[in-house]
Amino acid sequence: MAQATENTLEFIEHFGPHPAYAAGVRLETGVEPDKLVKTHCCFCGQQCGIQLKVKDNEVIGFEPWEEFPFNRGMLCPKGVKRYLQGSHPDRLLHAYQRDPASEGGFRELAYDQAIALVAAEIQRIQSTHGNDAFGVLTGASLTTEKAYLMGKFARMCLKTANIDYNGRLCMVSAGAANKKAFGIDRAANPWSDILKAEVVWISGANIAECAPITTNYVWQAREYGAKIIVVDPRITPIARTCDLFLPVKPGRDIALFNGILHLMIENDWLDHDFITKHTVGFEAVAEHVHEWNPKKTAEVTGISERAIRQAAEWWGQAKSSFLLHARGIEHHTHGVQNCLGAINMVLASGRIGRENCGYATITGQANGQGGREHGQKCDQLPGARDISNPEHRAYVAGVWGITPEEMPQAGVDAYEMFRLIDRGEIRGLLSICFNPKVSLPDNSFITRCLEKLEFYVAIDFFLNETAEHADIVLPGSLQEEDEGVVTQIEGRVIKINKAVDPPGDAKQDWRIIQDIAKALEREKGFTFSSPREIFNELRIASKGGIADYSGITYEKIEKQYGVFWPCPSDDHPGTPRLFELGSLNPIAKGSGPFYFPDGRARFNVAPYTPPAEDTDEEYPLMLTTGRVVSQFLSGTQTRRIGPLVDQYPEPLIEIHPQLAQKLGIANGDLTTVESRRGDITLPAMVVTTIRPDTVFVPYHWPGRKSINQLTISAQDPISKIPEYKVCAVRVRKATGNGS
Amino acid sequence: MVPEQNEFFMDPNRCIGCQACVQACSECETHKGYSMIHLDYVDRAHSIQTAPVVCLHCDSPTCAEVCPADAIKKTADGVVQTALKPRCIGCNNCVLACPFGVPKMKTEFKLMMKCDMCYDRTSEGLKPMCATVCPSQALFFGTREEIELLRPRSVATNQFRFGEQTITTKVNMMLPKSGKAEYVDVTAAMSERGSGKTISLNILDGMYNEEQSQ
Amino acid sequence: MSKETIRAGAWGTLFTLIVAGLIVLGSRNLAHFDAALVGYTFAVLFATFGITYRYSMWLQRPPTALYWKRGWQVFLRPRHLVQNIKEWFIRVPSDFGLNLFILQRGKLRWATHMLLMWGCMIAIAITFPLVFGWIHFETLPNNFDWYRAYLFGFPTFAFPIHSIFGFLVFHGLVWASIMVTAGVMLAMRRRMRDHGAAALQQFGEDFLPLILLFAISVTGLMLTASYTWMKGYAYDFLAIIHAITVIFTLLWLPFGKFFHIFQRPAQLGVSFYKDVGQREEPANCRRCGAPFTSRMHVEDLIKVERQLGYRYEMKDNSIEHYQWICPPCRRSMLALAQGQLWRTESSASLDMEGLVPTPVLGNPGPNQGPLGEEDRTNFHP
Repeated sequence: MAQATENTLEFIEHFGPHPAYAAGVRLETGVEPDKLVKTHCCFCGQQCGIQLKVKDNEVIGFEPWEEFPFNRGMLCPKGVKRYLQGSHPDRLLHAYQRDPASEGGFRELAYDQAIALVAAEIQRIQSTHGNDAFGVLTGASLTTEKAYLMGKFARMCLKTANIDYNGRLCMVSAGAANKKAFGIDRAANPWSDILKAEVVWISGANIAECAPITTNYVWQAREYGAKIIVVDPRITPIARTCDLFLPVKPGRDIALFNGILHLMIENDWLDHDFITKHTVGFEAVAEHVHEWNPKKTAEVTGISERAIRQAAEWWGQAKSSFLLHARGIEHHTHGVQNCLGAINMVLASGRIGRENCGYATITGQANGQGGREHGQKCDQLPGARDISNPEHRAYVAGVWGITPEEMPQAGVDAYEMFRLIDRGEIRGLLSICFNPKVSLPDNSFITRCLEKLEFYVAIDFFLNETAEHADIVLPGSLQEEDEGVVTQIEGRVIKINKAVDPPGDAKQDWRIIQDIAKALEREKGFTFSSPREIFNELRIASKGGIADYSGITYEKIEKQYGVFWPCPSDDHPGTPRLFELGSLNPIAKGSGPFYFPDGRARFNVAPYTPPAEDTDEEYPLMLTTGRVVSQFLSGTQTRRIGPLVDQYPEPLIEIHPQLAQKLGIANGDLTTVESRRGDITLPAMVVTTIRPDTVFVPYHWPGRKSINQLTISAQDPISKIPEYKVCAVRVRKATGNGS
Repeated sequence: MVPEQNEFFMDPNRCIGCQACVQACSECETHKGYSMIHLDYVDRAHSIQTAPVVCLHCDSPTCAEVCPADAIKKTADGVVQTALKPRCIGCNNCVLACPFGVPKMKTEFKLMMKCDMCYDRTSEGLKPMCATVCPSQALFFGTREEIELLRPRSVATNQFRFGEQTITTKVNMMLPKSGKAEYVDVTAAMSERGSGKTISLNILDGMYNEEQSQ
Repeated sequence: MSKETIRAGAWGTLFTLIVAGLIVLGSRNLAHFDAALVGYTFAVLFATFGITYRYSMWLQRPPTALYWKRGWQVFLRPRHLVQNIKEWFIRVPSDFGLNLFILQRGKLRWATHMLLMWGCMIAIAITFPLVFGWIHFETLPNNFDWYRAYLFGFPTFAFPIHSIFGFLVFHGLVWASIMVTAGVMLAMRRRMRDHGAAALQQFGEDFLPLILLFAISVTGLMLTASYTWMKGYAYDFLAIIHAITVIFTLLWLPFGKFFHIFQRPAQLGVSFYKDVGQREEPANCRRCGAPFTSRMHVEDLIKVERQLGYRYEMKDNSIEHYQWICPPCRRSMLALAQGQLWRTESSASLDMEGLVPTPVLGNPGPNQGPLGEEDRTNFHP
């Protein structure tokens, strides 16, 4: 049904991507802006403070915001050029309906008519195939208010179990591991604790490109004497000058963590007091890592024994430390285990919950943290509550004014939703802030599923590649066209401020959702008149939950430059550092610092398993994927910002010269990488900064330039995160002229 | 005037090549739309090292002295400016003679343009664009007290050696305190290819082949 | 007095005498010279001396002297002469007539400069010959409605006074004033609004010339207004004020921004120098091996740098002089040299034989820097 329009010139003419450059008033040097709006960058989880220059309802530039304590004016290239996403030629200004006869494949439609059509289709599908036959896909770049509303909309208005979000591709492994080990899913420390740590351990995090501002924290720590240990299959910019670089073989991180713990135990670099008083399960883990002697660790990880011993020595003997990890260890079929392995190292050292002693995952998306706390995840309700817990259901149902029985049970994860589409169990789909056709693995399967949908409505501000399949496209809002809160990398709740009004027929996303609810004649609970009203309901809905926002107000956020949750009451300043001895939490109720009834953290045995698809004779190499600094996720925004496109115009295949020489590939040669699911032909970038058994391709591009044609859809059994970071491939020099 | 206590400090070793500086530079209002900072990959095939270069604002600027049109001027506070538009004849002498490789020739304008330390900002007490946004703070703008507090293992120098020539600059470079070097011998790096971690020759040599033969 | 000053003084005197001689000659022994304009004449003579003096001093700076010499040498080099002459006929109108390089900087900027430049040119073309007595008009003996123009005392064409042509000619200064005034307004607007300009501009260098041009134009227009519509009201007073503005401008000519009018033609020499350099032997960077400019240019710069007292000589004989290193390598070496000082045991350096690759600018955006389009046209023949 929902066949994508062929990407004809006509389509591109109408919907892009066109790279926008500064022109007109944005290039003028004699313009006084009407106002400077203090807000945050729209891209990654660091949520750097920035001031937008506004003139005549247009964002014309930026001014650094040096008072905001996290980034003090610092920005990456995306933040610098983010202002170019406004007033963009590709911006959707109307609702559109699929119409192959029209130029570009879509025709303009009056907004009200579009809403009526959407409501009619939802009603038709749900009455014929059941409520769960309509699915909702959302995203972690939405403000917390919108994320909350989306969860409420799916459960209360559509009464479907099937809602999930793109955070599923992001930090769910870390979230699941954090909950297993600490009982709470949040960065344990503010970034200021990195500064005075003696050892900073960075596993699977390309900080320089994916969280650039964090670089300054790491270098600052080094100035104060820290040793920096980086674990990565590539020499990323931060790895170049770190103190110890461990070039791990993709997918073998647990082996390393277990090996380090083995050496810590062997040399008695343990905090026995902490382990006894504040943890459970150490013995089982100690028993498990016994076999992970340096020799075995070296064999499995591909890192020299000497380097492993050095790392263990530094980590083991440190008085203070900070461990950071990101998608590199999380995007695996054993992503949760990887994270647990890292956490075991931290718990055994006892270096958590104190000044300069910390642990955190680096969240990826703008609201990666807040977006996973308030109920757009398939198994979760606001306040990080559990949808299968009767008490939690009853509380939230009470806030919403429904009975717990009316509330659907847990649905399935985002990838599984596509499998349900494939099986005909989901017939209709609403998506917002998600571009699965680019971002999900094995994406030719995703395309086939999209084509099977009876009805698909997409809400977005640009017509992204997935929305090309939509029957109806509704024009949503850019980040600067609405207000609301997001929770950044450190767990700090911050406020996005509105700079301009949405242009044309475009509407703030929450208004669109409410309009659909109204057209469905299920308006109850969807009559908010501002994000503040939504936030106030969310505060109540999260009250008493782990992610307790009830004491946070917009005013408190502005006054304190953000409030760290949990913040359970109006006079509570928020909680920058978790797990401090003597700190209270609603689960432990004083019995200890961790979020379990006994107040103790959990050691979890983290067994090593190889990647779902290991190399073999047919596919002898490993493919790993990731990001470049100038692009963001599926590129819907950044592929439309000219200066960012120029910085890294198309994906390249990073390949080591030893391998390249063997395959007869020179720098710049068109090279084909094949997996069992697909192939891609791109220019090679021959560099010594990658393991010779691994190739790397960034994933921000669609269609034939999408590396997710090759990646595997195998998922972690607990977190359901796909294994983006390793699959088996073969590489050859391209024949002919390639693509 | 740029407040006297505000100084520019460079620490290329911190650079992560993200190009925030390059992107922000073109937002500066003395040359809007054009980036004046340079960020080069020194040898991308072998290293991810990048070299960010702003104008160092020499005490006696070679670029100005070799200018046949007398078009390059230094302000009283020591900032070497873009060539004067009426005078610059686009001869390229400055581009070729600057020991740091800083000036840029806009051929179509017949005009040399260069980093002026964001004079529109610094003369009003603000920081230059590049140093404000730089996520690694390889480019830092602030007072000497601030830098001493933030970089306890570093010491600033503003002396650079090129063969037999010493150049003193307004911009400082951070050197290791332990190294006791008083100046940067730029030409000592003539055959240097890039430094930092390398994968290949030590840890992993032959690994790919081993796997193949298994 | 230094050798340079004496030489410049001599050139100044010579040129002043030549202009004075031409005035005497062109006005037929001052027969057509208007005594009322003697103030202007002396101001012009002073300006001539000043400009020549400054030009000569300028030409004696080592880089200028070398470029001046080389500019002529390469222009006249027999191998390139024909091509050079062809180019000359393209470049003079496009650079000087149409200011196309300013058009690239911005349309409004270009319009401003065209108005100012051509306004001044027209005014100069009309007033100077009139003041010097090089041109005068007489009515035809048999027809008082017709004028004949005389150039250097020789009769040329005649035209009716009350024709459109006559109107245009006799109001030439009015048109020029309007153009200049419009140009001044545009320039002032930019200087008042533009944040970049605000940071850099200086009163003497940037506002004074605009004020002077404005004063000349306005007082000139008032003169016309006075005799056309106000029966010569305050004419004498206005004439004095106008004379003061013009004379002050003439006296200031050698010192301020207007000197670029005389300096600017050097741009032509530069373009031939670059052209010929591109056609001849390139200089290859002695670090990375990439050609980055002409050999002639590097050798000339070495000469100039030595004259200026720089000691960029290198001990390494294969390099000789730092000038043989290309700008991208220079930039890289700065970071590499610092990196060397920071190197710890654990961070290896890459020691390999042979030339190092040319550093590549990180941002390959349109016209962005080294080894992009911009550099190809600049120092990569």
